Amino acid sequence: MGTTSDKKWEPKIVAFLCNWCSYAGADLAGVSRFQYPPNIRIIRLPCSGRVSANMILDALRSGADGVLVSGCHPGDCHYISGNLFARRRFALLTNLLEFVGIEPGRVNFSWISASEAEQFAQVVKEVTETVRKLGPSTRLVKRIG
Amino acid sequence: MKVLKFDRQAIGEWLSKLAEDYDIYAPGESSQGTWQLISDYSQIDIKSGVPEKPVKNFLFPQPETLLTFSTVPDDPDAFKPREPEDSGRKNVIFGVRPCDARSISLNAMPYEKDTYYKANMEKNLIIGLTCNTPCSTCFCTWTGGSPMGTEGCDISLTEIEKDSFVARGVTERGDKLLCLATAASEASDQDIEKLSGLEKDVAISTDITALEETLKSKDMMELYNAPFWKDIAERCVNCGTCTFLCPTCYCFDIQDETLHGRGRRIRCQDSCMFPLFTLHASGHNPRGDKVQRVRNRFMHKLKYFPDRFGSVSCVGCGRCVRDCPVNIDIREVMRQMLTF
Amino acid sequence: MSTLNEKITEEIRSQAERLLSSGEVAAFLGYEAGSLPMTARPFVARKPEDVSRLVWNSFCVLNLSNYLPSLLKSFEPQRRPGEPPPEGPLPKVGVIATGCWSRNIVVQIKENQVDRERVVIVGIPSRGMVSSRKVKDLVNNREILKVIEEDHNLKVSGSDFDQEINRWDVVRDNCLTCVHPDPVIYDILIGNPSGERQVSDRFEQVNDIEAKTHEERWEWFTEAFSACVRCYACRNVCPLCYCPTCFVDDSRPQWVGKSTDQTDTLLFHILRAYHCAGRCTDCGSCESACPVGIPMRLLTKKLNKDVLEMYQSEAGMSLDEPLPLTTYNPADPQGFVLTERSEKGGGKS
Repeated sequence: MGTTSDKKWEPKIVAFLCNWCSYAGADLAGVSRFQYPPNIRIIRLPCSGRVSANMILDALRSGADGVLVSGCHPGDCHYISGNLFARRRFALLTNLLEFVGIEPGRVNFSWISASEAEQFAQVVKEVTETVRKLGPSTRLVKRIG
Repeated sequence: MKVLKFDRQAIGEWLSKLAEDYDIYAPGESSQGTWQLISDYSQIDIKSGVPEKPVKNFLFPQPETLLTFSTVPDDPDAFKPREPEDSGRKNVIFGVRPCDARSISLNAMPYEKDTYYKANMEKNLIIGLTCNTPCSTCFCTWTGGSPMGTEGCDISLTEIEKDSFVARGVTERGDKLLCLATAASEASDQDIEKLSGLEKDVAISTDITALEETLKSKDMMELYNAPFWKDIAERCVNCGTCTFLCPTCYCFDIQDETLHGRGRRIRCQDSCMFPLFTLHASGHNPRGDKVQRVRNRFMHKLKYFPDRFGSVSCVGCGRCVRDCPVNIDIREVMRQMLTF
Repeated sequence: MSTLNEKITEEIRSQAERLLSSGEVAAFLGYEAGSLPMTARPFVARKPEDVSRLVWNSFCVLNLSNYLPSLLKSFEPQRRPGEPPPEGPLPKVGVIATGCWSRNIVVQIKENQVDRERVVIVGIPSRGMVSSRKVKDLVNNREILKVIEEDHNLKVSGSDFDQEINRWDVVRDNCLTCVHPDPVIYDILIGNPSGERQVSDRFEQVNDIEAKTHEERWEWFTEAFSACVRCYACRNVCPLCYCPTCFVDDSRPQWVGKSTDQTDTLLFHILRAYHCAGRCTDCGSCESACPVGIPMRLLTKKLNKDVLEMYQSEAGMSLDEPLPLTTYNPADPQGFVLTERSEKGGGKS
């Protein structure tokens, strides 16, 4: 946004990662030199249970082409049950967004533990490709002027 | 001022000609009652009564961009506020009822110094349509209006017989538009007689008379402290339906919306029914209670506004009566205020 | 011979009078006649003389439980934060409750907005409420001046027409697919419970939209919600929407803008429906209150369907069951999770 349109469009993906598992997993991916696309912009949170629908939709409103939310595996949450509540919330949100016509694949969820560096890189690759195929997000983007 | 006679076809041809220079709006067919940009003028179907949404949305666009600005590096005008571009095209709004048209001049009183409102008045030409059959929820005669009124219109149409209209130019620019109506004929003496007959026959409801004088003569603080406000406000849910559908509610909020280095300052319609409306930055809210907000709205419309500008801030269109989810009826409030 | 609704009206009046005269309740929340045809307005009776104003008809479309928390609070003495609650029992409030309204009261009790001990619930099994919009459509939007309600018909008349309409043709959409018309919680019951209703497809309207492609769905969504004026009538008549500061009023951060810009309007509706997930009883107040006829109920209906299918939970059916989004099951479906789909990411479940 705000740049000249000489460059080819690259998807922008906002990732909400939980501090204890997914963020650590992403860190490990970096340290282990696993390559993954640079389209992802990471926001660190204490727990996937902290992620509310407001935040995910705010990312879409601000122009993100895709959103990834990632947390600990169920049963492994640092705060015991945060991701278990989140799982219900995300299931409903995914279905609701699809119901109103937001393309499946814009908003994604994953469980990635702190040691799963390769899986993290894999997920990012997968999400980037899915969003690239969907094209730039147009449906819930706020337009100014 | 010109007085012409049209049949439906002549109206269609006239509007087609106007469409070269103006955007033509008329009430839409759907029950959602929005004003629609129309292109097929032969299909205009004016139902009796007022359309769902008032004409104020043309005078107070929701939202209205006041200025734009940006901080992006490749913008030559970065850091300079810019006025929004004006296409220069004006609107002709067709089928505006006398109550809605009158609201335009009523709102112009507090907005005397508002350049945006004045510019929008310039931009919108009003072709009014008088009411042959007012609805049971209409009470324009109580508020100083009339089903045959022409205040606020540039041209006023009256259906003197089925599909046969007499058009009167009310303002200079209305007259200029009528000059383009080559398919219309000069109104005959009989037509003008029929028109006068309709004007004489206007059913002046004697339910409430002298609303403005009576309200002006009442003591403000006594009305303010009256006990009936609590009963009226009890069922109000503080939605903004009445304020958004009212032609004479004109309160606004100014917001700056920014994203990725671009922004705009917009004025959007706001409602005194929302608690946020009067919330101070300190956290204090002078109208934090529901009763205070409900009382304020009616006192503003029926007491403060006439005290200041001489007319009640209500045109009797009846939209709030029809659409209030809990059936708070401004006519009952008027009666209570008058008899207090 | 009096109609069913007239009989219920008599019974409501006598119960309310009894409760108010004996002092058992300080106020009784019901309906009185409105100033327009097909309108009833919420009314609080505080003295036994007021009960003659109470009515019951097929136009009582707003959910009375919306008023319950604030009415109860109005009888509590004012106290500053930190001050202990007053000693002794506080005044009670009587309220009328049909099937869905009573389920909302259950949700309010579970969410600690209403104290069960302080409400006297007069339950009425519902026969469905009539949509005045549907009636107006059936008479081609000619002005209706009078409506006489009989048990199964409405006699509608205007200045130049009379029409008899079958009540069932104009009952609201949410009432047509209702399966729980009887109140699930009550202290006094008026009328006879009708038992669970058999409906061939409760979620028919939702399924119709799910049959569309994503493009068609988006087109439907943007079109249906395009007339929204952001009046928040839907939010304000909803008993679930009681947040002191609604997310639309947040400014730091501002989640949605205030104007009728399409993106902001659609986001408002998506998020509001989402906040009602698992709590909505499909009472239909939102749609009845909307001045421009937006079908926002369909969003919450979709969420209710998912909650029922995935978590076997229905709002307000049981006082003991926890609210679906405040609990979890280790075996909750997670097919939507990327890492649970591929074989590599199989992992624990």
